Amino acid sequence: MVKRLIALALLVAFAPSAANAHGPSRQKVVSKIEINAPVDKVWEVIGNFQDMSWHPAFAKTEGEGGNEDGAKRTLTTKDGGKIFEKIIKRDNEARALSYEITEVDVKVVPVTNYASTISVVGTAEKSIVEWRSAFYRGFVNNDPPPELSDEAAVKAITGVYESGLGALKAKLEGGK
Amino acid sequence: MHSSRTEFATAWPCAGQFSFVRRCTLLIVLLGPSLAAADEAFVVSQNAGRLSIVDVATMKIAAEIAIDGKPAGIALSPDGRRAYVTAPEGRAVVVIDAEKRAIEKTIDVGKGPLGITVNPIDGRIFVADWYEHKLYAIDPVRLEIMASVETGLSPSGVAVTGDGRLIVTADRDSNQVSLIDAKLFNVIATVATGERPFGVTIDAAGERAYTANVASDDVTIIDLNARKALATIKVGHRPYAVALSRQRAFVTDQHGETVSVFDTNSFDPVGKIAVGGFPEGIAADEAGRFIYVSCWDADRLERIDVETMKVNGTVDVPAGPRSFGAFLRKTSGLPPRGEP
Repeated sequence: MVKRLIALALLVAFAPSAANAHGPSRQKVVSKIEINAPVDKVWEVIGNFQDMSWHPAFAKTEGEGGNEDGAKRTLTTKDGGKIFEKIIKRDNEARALSYEITEVDVKVVPVTNYASTISVVGTAEKSIVEWRSAFYRGFVNNDPPPELSDEAAVKAITGVYESGLGALKAKLEGGK
Repeated sequence: MHSSRTEFATAWPCAGQFSFVRRCTLLIVLLGPSLAAADEAFVVSQNAGRLSIVDVATMKIAAEIAIDGKPAGIALSPDGRRAYVTAPEGRAVVVIDAEKRAIEKTIDVGKGPLGITVNPIDGRIFVADWYEHKLYAIDPVRLEIMASVETGLSPSGVAVTGDGRLIVTADRDSNQVSLIDAKLFNVIATVATGERPFGVTIDAAGERAYTANVASDDVTIIDLNARKALATIKVGHRPYAVALSRQRAFVTDQHGETVSVFDTNSFDPVGKIAVGGFPEGIAADEAGRFIYVSCWDADRLERIDVETMKVNGTVDVPAGPRSFGAFLRKTSGLPPRGEP
């Protein structure tokens, strides 16, 4: 176990390409939720890149560049972990926000090369939010330890999405 | 004899329900414009673990084959009778009989075989190993590894010149390409590229190589004779691979949901074509009519009309199509079995 931790620490510390390198197989997670709230109101919340307070996992959102393409934010989890993210494209008409993680410790989120889109479709009464992403597992070589496997990566992201979308629904439906 | 056109041509003398003129018209319509076009696309779906063979005339799946080990890369033999698919997690190259639509053999290769190409002259199969930082050569008759050579770090894409003499690997984590003498199987030069070159494509004349640089969002154009970079062209976000058609380069922008196009003479941008999510493997037919794109997130193969620069056909395929390599197979004009 100690050996493994040392090996992991070395990997993270010294691999010059840790943020870019990846295992051979990209994973995908798609989560959806129906919310009884107007589509514009939902978009107002999820389309604001600089405020992730609707998600229970995050304590703080700090950033720059607003909602422009290329804008940045740093999310701090309630455990103190940091996730650095950047807008790839924000489409106000399609109500879709695409962004990527530019830097994260695999101990915070066990993924690499993460890119995501959160979007909403619907009417003045009802909306469907979709949160989807593509990423590689945290371990960039063959034979990953279980906590950095494909399954661990999918499980972690699925957990983030499900808890977040559940909280979003509660917030928007409760605040009518 | 799998294309509907060929079957029609074989069957038509007995097709008595049509008038002669009608039959001729049909023949012209069916055979005429597409003789030189690609006939089948071999789409490799990594997440689903499937190879789908798409009839590109109808954009319908003609056959599917299950492949274990998270298949990703693809190449066809020069005679089109075989497909070779890399399975990085299976640590193998899977040999497919393209006519029988069946697995012929599975060859153990390295620790992370990904990029694959075939020498168009002698049929040798070249496989880049992402983890071992090596290029393997496989004998197409014995279907066994015959040699290997060290490349830069994490070679991903691999391509060969049309004369079969020079191999180029895109060494992703060394930000370079390696130029390898195909006969001696040694590295004769390296050329610096943009950051994280992934796919590499060589032009028909064998004069230039184009790498898609994932991290710097550009394409490096390499002069293979001078062994140096000619130009760096900005494209969309996270480019994956390049296809060449009619003096234009078509580049899949994974995170951009676009194919970026630029002129290979002037290097000027031509435009961006909207495609499905996470476009990855891309291939041009020989006739310069269509470009085919594997869209990983959309689970689709899309067909771009080179004339109109728009998607004019799509087909849903199993989950996670990557099709990393030259995945088009001609079914027309093949030599009879037994000829070299």
